[in-house]
Amino acid sequence: MSETSVEETKPAAVIDPKDAPSLWTRIKRSDVWYSFTRSPVAIVAAIIVTIIVLASVFAPLISPQNPFNPAELNLMDGFSAPMEPNQFTGNVYWLGTDDQGRDIFSTILYGSRISLFVGVSAVLLAMVIGIVLGLVAGYRGGWADTIIMRIADVQLTFPSILIALLVFGIVRGLVPPDVRNDVAVWVLIVSIALSDWVQYARTVRGATLVERNKEYVQAARVIGVKPFTIMMRHVLPNVMGPVLVIATIGLALAIIAEATLSFLGVGMPKTTPSLGTLINTGQDFLFSGEWWILFFPAVALLALALSVNLLGDWLRDALNPKLR
Amino acid sequence: MTAFSPRHGRYLAASTLALAVALGATQPVAAETFRWATTSDPNTLDPHAASSAPVLGFLNNVYEGLVRRNQSMAVEPSLAVRWEALGDEGWRFHLREGVTFHNGADFTADDVLFSYERASGETSDVRSWFATVTDVQVVDDYTIDFLTSAPNPIFPGSIANFMIMDRDWSEENGAETPATDEERYTTLNANGTAAFQLVERSPGVRTVLTPFDGWWGDVEHNITEAIYTPIQSDATMLAALIAGDVDFINPVPIQNVERLQNTDGMNVIVGEEARVMMLGFPHEADALTYDGSPNPFTDVRVRQAVYHAINVDAINQTIMRGAVEPVSQLVTPDMRGYSEGLSARLDYDPDAARALLAEAGYADGFTFSLMCPNDRYINDAAVCQAVVGMLAQVGITVDLVTMPVANYWPELRADNFDMYLLGWSPGTFDAEHPIRFLVSTPNEERRLGSWNFGGFSNARVDELLPQVQSEVDEGVRQGMLDEITGIMQDEVAYVPLYSQPILWGVRDGVSVSPRSDNFFILRWVSVE
Amino acid sequence: MIAFVLRRVFQSIIVLLIVGLIAFLMFRYVGDPIESLLGQERTFEDIANLRERLGLNDPFIVQYFNFLLGAVQGQFGISYRAGVPVSQLIAERLPATLELAFVSGLFALIGGVALGVYTALRRKGVIATTIMTASLIGVSLPTFLIGIALIWVFAVELQWLPSNGRGEVVAIGGWTTGFLTSSGRASLILPAITLGLFQMTLIMRLVRSEMLEVLRTDYIKFARARGLSARAVNFGHALKNTLIPVITITGLQLGSIVAFAIITETVFQWPGVGLMFINAINFVDIPVMATYLMLIAVFFVLVNLIVDLLYFAVDPRLRVERPSSK
Repeated sequence: MSETSVEETKPAAVIDPKDAPSLWTRIKRSDVWYSFTRSPVAIVAAIIVTIIVLASVFAPLISPQNPFNPAELNLMDGFSAPMEPNQFTGNVYWLGTDDQGRDIFSTILYGSRISLFVGVSAVLLAMVIGIVLGLVAGYRGGWADTIIMRIADVQLTFPSILIALLVFGIVRGLVPPDVRNDVAVWVLIVSIALSDWVQYARTVRGATLVERNKEYVQAARVIGVKPFTIMMRHVLPNVMGPVLVIATIGLALAIIAEATLSFLGVGMPKTTPSLGTLINTGQDFLFSGEWWILFFPAVALLALALSVNLLGDWLRDALNPKLR
Repeated sequence: MTAFSPRHGRYLAASTLALAVALGATQPVAAETFRWATTSDPNTLDPHAASSAPVLGFLNNVYEGLVRRNQSMAVEPSLAVRWEALGDEGWRFHLREGVTFHNGADFTADDVLFSYERASGETSDVRSWFATVTDVQVVDDYTIDFLTSAPNPIFPGSIANFMIMDRDWSEENGAETPATDEERYTTLNANGTAAFQLVERSPGVRTVLTPFDGWWGDVEHNITEAIYTPIQSDATMLAALIAGDVDFINPVPIQNVERLQNTDGMNVIVGEEARVMMLGFPHEADALTYDGSPNPFTDVRVRQAVYHAINVDAINQTIMRGAVEPVSQLVTPDMRGYSEGLSARLDYDPDAARALLAEAGYADGFTFSLMCPNDRYINDAAVCQAVVGMLAQVGITVDLVTMPVANYWPELRADNFDMYLLGWSPGTFDAEHPIRFLVSTPNEERRLGSWNFGGFSNARVDELLPQVQSEVDEGVRQGMLDEITGIMQDEVAYVPLYSQPILWGVRDGVSVSPRSDNFFILRWVSVE
Repeated sequence: MIAFVLRRVFQSIIVLLIVGLIAFLMFRYVGDPIESLLGQERTFEDIANLRERLGLNDPFIVQYFNFLLGAVQGQFGISYRAGVPVSQLIAERLPATLELAFVSGLFALIGGVALGVYTALRRKGVIATTIMTASLIGVSLPTFLIGIALIWVFAVELQWLPSNGRGEVVAIGGWTTGFLTSSGRASLILPAITLGLFQMTLIMRLVRSEMLEVLRTDYIKFARARGLSARAVNFGHALKNTLIPVITITGLQLGSIVAFAIITETVFQWPGVGLMFINAINFVDIPVMATYLMLIAVFFVLVNLIVDLLYFAVDPRLRVERPSSK
């Protein structure tokens, strides 16, 4: 599909840096952009992700209520149905309220903020750990490989839930009570990243094992390119395909993992709920008729995770020259 | 199935069977098989190895005590037909004759003596029931004396869950002592005298009981087999009831009561539980754990302010769907020793709370951390969140820390709290019980105040408690209990919140009788 | 080859020892078992006595050593909660988990490969695109929510399938199976779908992307040029070549099957080791937690070993590489 676009990008590579076109121009000329403009699914997904990201970033400006401030909540507003006046207070909320009288709309905005932050940070952390260890293990081999892969075995043995319990336990032992709730976000990020890095490491190692024996890598080695450079310049780009597959699912997964952890009682504090915490609260009210507490946050989570996954799908195909 | 004509009978029966096979679904069970589910499996079948409600409640169907409680918690004869006080020295029990254990052995006073020795031994979890017992003497095969160090008017009621085991059976199977840390025959096997006997036990999966033909009492139930399954998840359990996989569940999540009542073929049985919920303060601590600043809760005005700031009615109307009963003391009105004259709570009055705080020098409020379990009581974490909001409205900032109960008690024991949520269900159904455990100054040697985490201490209460324990005159005793309750209210030792409801879900045609200790008694069940 | 296996076995033992060490290190953070063992009327003295009897006052390294000492002799201790030997408890519960894992694994593998191949071959097709998008919904919601939703739809509303448990099981020797009764088979369906859905999606996406890559390679083009039928090319050559990553990921996914089994078993009250483990955490049942983790560790070490050996067998390039790197 992109004979022409390949030619378009070629000049960019040889242009003198001083005359380099602006970033925007370069993006517009790139293959990826071209492919993007041809994919309606990707466009819709990108719009949804953008809306959710913007809405959560500007949550304090948009939301009618700050759901994280207990003083702004009125318990009597609890369980208001969407668009219906509350039976005690008569207040009306678009998407209803939860058991504490939190406006669901505001809480989704604030909650997405936390969920996105946790998800993105955890994936980045897991990716960095996994790629570095995977590259080292695959490229160096020998005892480095042995040690890293055995650590991975140990790691895989511990269900992520237990790792989270462990990290939470240690934090509880080490952190003074007044900042415990503040560090909960970081604890979640570390817990999720610690249980996810092995996937990246093993995939990267597997791919590296194959790549390192290919002629181009051996040629590079022969002409004296440093191992680090070879790994970063030659091996890494070639393993990014599978890594992206894992990362896209991984991002959605990290957001969902956060929800699962709150199902098991270790997650964000109840007073500052994330999307996952909210869903977990909502499932208690599935049968009792307050469907909105579960439904709207679940839709938000689904929209976010689905869009990220669809963008990932598209990006993988777009980045893969073999698929053109 | 009996009404259709014989001609069509075979066809109908066959198609029903085919349907059952094809769908694999459980069809409505035969009338006499009763299936029930609760959230917590009894962790042992040894009646002396654990004093938790799931164990004692379950085993009440298999084992019996000398006395038992009826539907309204009143003490009535069981293995003892009558009993009398031996002056100030103890109690004499006259035992029922002609009772046999499930294995056919006869029940005699020697079995009671054996059970006493077993239940008061070092590895027993129920030995606190016998703290005042100095000796047990067999008078004859059907008479036995329990001698106590001081007069103990509530003794018979306090051993209603003291279950009698067969000496020979226990000794033959090497189970002379209860154990939680070793293998015991009695952990998985049972041999009681009660209306039901154990036929299958798979811990955490399935337990099957059948009626005991040789039971001494009048049979009121119509069950031929009872199958128990623990289901941890509330949602799954509710689904199991509606799907017809079980006939009875305990508990029904509070928010689902109304909906379940309106569901065809389903019913909810509501009772009042003996468990009183309260907020506890750090009475002794110099500083808050939250930021090390001086502890404001040592000032009674601050404690009163907290009391005034909390709107229990609002909690009841929203989170609890109107199903709880606000309380003013640590026992409910139907318990023995309840102080009738002190039934008023402090009003919900945020302005008074703010004024009291200002008077105490906290006009700008302060910040502290509230500890709360999230898997122990009905909607515990939600109630704590509501408390956070209500305190925020009078200017106190609360940092809420919630955790599973396995972590919760160690934190409280280590004094890692500035305020905490606690529920208390008095095993003796008497106002003395919470005073002994929650209000008395902690004293290891005398086994007092073991759950008084905040270290509330009042000399007058400590002085009155031993007198309450040995006072035989009901009126004098009540007077002393009233005085103690008055002190607790004046001092705001705790903020009593509400008592939890019992919520049992049944399918139509099942009739059960709730009791306020939330024990499920199979012999009161009838199935249509 | 034998040297390689021996070396891996030796490494595996070290892995097991480390798993145990970490496990015992963290138990103190899970909570205090005493709290759930003793009733509300316990005294400080009772607590102290029981702590001593259970050996909880020993440093964790001593507790760990005692556990290992017992484990070597086949004694894994007595469950605090159930009061029976842990080995007996696990023997009772393991069949349930293995049957569930087997069925959901089969579901994931068959469904994943079939849909993966289909969506790769019909990359631009409407059905394939729909499948790709729809499959994402399954991985965009938490497992517990999917499980609860399935229960409500199929057990409560439609009343087609049982809501929880294993149904009637038949004991064959020490093994209890649900395969032989209709209620046992019906009980497997919902939990197996819940547990396998995520894996199926992952395998499907992986097979698709690998297929797409392989279909572009020269050797497939040659095969086409040689006039081989589409079927022979797609399944005989292309699919075969996607198998290495699929084997790896499937091996890895056994890990998440175990992890997610904990949640699935909790939602469906499936009486397997996952449910036993989550109960053990709630109850701080240290012997059960320790044994479960060791069991899982042994399982993983074996799976990893097998995956590595399969790599060995499938990709000749590695055969020269691995042993010489030592």
